[in-house]
Amino acid sequence: MHGPLQFSVDEFFGTISPRIWLAVFIFTIGMLLAYGVMGVTSRLLERMGVVETIEGTSFERTTNEFGTSTARIITQLSGVFTILLATFVAITVADLQFVGLFWSSVAIFLPQLFIAIVILVVGVVVADKVELLVSERLRGVKLPEIGLIPLLAKYSVLFVAILIALSQIGVAVLALIVLLGAYALALIVFTALATQDLLASGTAGVYLLLNQPYSIGDEVKVGGQRGIVQEVDLLVTRIETDGEEHIIPNRTVLKDGIVRIQQ
Amino acid sequence: MTSLSDILTDLVSDVDGVFLFSPNGSFHERFDGIENVVVVGAENTVEADTFVELPIQFADVTDRIRFGIEGAMDDGLVGEGDVLACIGSLFSDDADFTSRVRVDESMRSGIYDLFTNSRADPTVISDVFEVALELGRKGQKGKPVGALFVVGDAGKVMNKSRPLSYNPFEKSHVHVGDPIVNVMLKEFSRLDGAFVISDSGKIVSAYRYLEPSAEGVDIPKGLGARHMAGGAITRDTNATAIVLSESDGLVRAFKGGKLILELDPEEY
Repeated sequence: MHGPLQFSVDEFFGTISPRIWLAVFIFTIGMLLAYGVMGVTSRLLERMGVVETIEGTSFERTTNEFGTSTARIITQLSGVFTILLATFVAITVADLQFVGLFWSSVAIFLPQLFIAIVILVVGVVVADKVELLVSERLRGVKLPEIGLIPLLAKYSVLFVAILIALSQIGVAVLALIVLLGAYALALIVFTALATQDLLASGTAGVYLLLNQPYSIGDEVKVGGQRGIVQEVDLLVTRIETDGEEHIIPNRTVLKDGIVRIQQ
Repeated sequence: MTSLSDILTDLVSDVDGVFLFSPNGSFHERFDGIENVVVVGAENTVEADTFVELPIQFADVTDRIRFGIEGAMDDGLVGEGDVLACIGSLFSDDADFTSRVRVDESMRSGIYDLFTNSRADPTVISDVFEVALELGRKGQKGKPVGALFVVGDAGKVMNKSRPLSYNPFEKSHVHVGDPIVNVMLKEFSRLDGAFVISDSGKIVSAYRYLEPSAEGVDIPKGLGARHMAGGAITRDTNATAIVLSESDGLVRAFKGGKLILELDPEEY
């Protein structure tokens, strides 16, 4: 009664080569390893304070809406990657010729894709965080246009992240890099142009504050204006005559020189 | 038969505006449907549209209400003859009193003006007030001490005064409001003469002997030379003088040669 069934099972197992068994074994190990990797990753993320740092960014909020979190996404990614790696090793061991060609190219592509995704996620989170920090800094400035600056900072970070991610998976990004270069150059040139007066006044102000060639209450003449010094700060010197207050940038003070009127 | 709530209704009936003194968020929300609500407090924590900032937490409620109304008058929120209901907290942190006040030009004592329309920053003036009040409360090593701070218009003040000795604050960059600087000011308060503080709060000099002309200075009789000097310098310049009296321990503020505000440090 049991004979034929026993035989068929034996035969069934017999036809499967030991290689397949090994492959299944490796795959199982891979699954367990993936579980371990996920645990280690999530604990590592928590230990490094990543979870608290990214709290409140809009990416984190979006992931929360889908009932997950950034940390969990990264953990899951690492788990999936480990499983895929195990699958690949298992298939290699099983020596399945017909898929070998396909998988060998996937094997090279996979880690790159994994790194690209991680870079993208990190980029999005960092971009959100940068936006948050910059807008926090600019909160005191009550200008509607000021909202543009945090957005600009956010998209700059995002752009760089996408660039790195794309180059990681081998997409031609030369044109985009040129664009980035032009953008960075424009940014530097414009900042330099916009702040050159402030920078010059600031450095002159440091000298004036440290050495105090003139102090509050002195009567001085700067650039044709004569009056009593009321205030010296980093950027400007305030000089007052009867009913008139002259606010003179410190670079003018240093450039034109100052006449102190002896009493 | 009148009930208590009828009396309270009389108190707040036909008012032109409501003044809330340092309300908390949920309490302020209950006033959503009411017009002309003005919030008065140290900080606009409830993000009210109309807000009057209190630079110091006046212990005296009349001072507090006066200051709030004066600020609102300056901002054009209320005018003479308006009747206001003032709601604030006296003993606990929650609102626990209501007062009916008629706005009167005579309420304009210049206290609000002293802080907001002085040459110096309002924060600088309130910082100096705090130092003076603390000095009056604790004294210098337990002994009562006097001090004279001249705030704002420092260039002119320096030209109307001369040094009594070397200026300990020369080539230093210290500003009032730093905790460590407040300790320094207390230590230096045993020096004779005045402290001169600039519009932005920089301590320009200590040990200054003020030389204003005391002509036409209107300060109460019986105050000493320190008050006279402080009052007179504010008439000659656009500065504000904050004086701590050694004899009666009160802090007084002068502006334009007039006594504007008198505070007892023990009450703060």
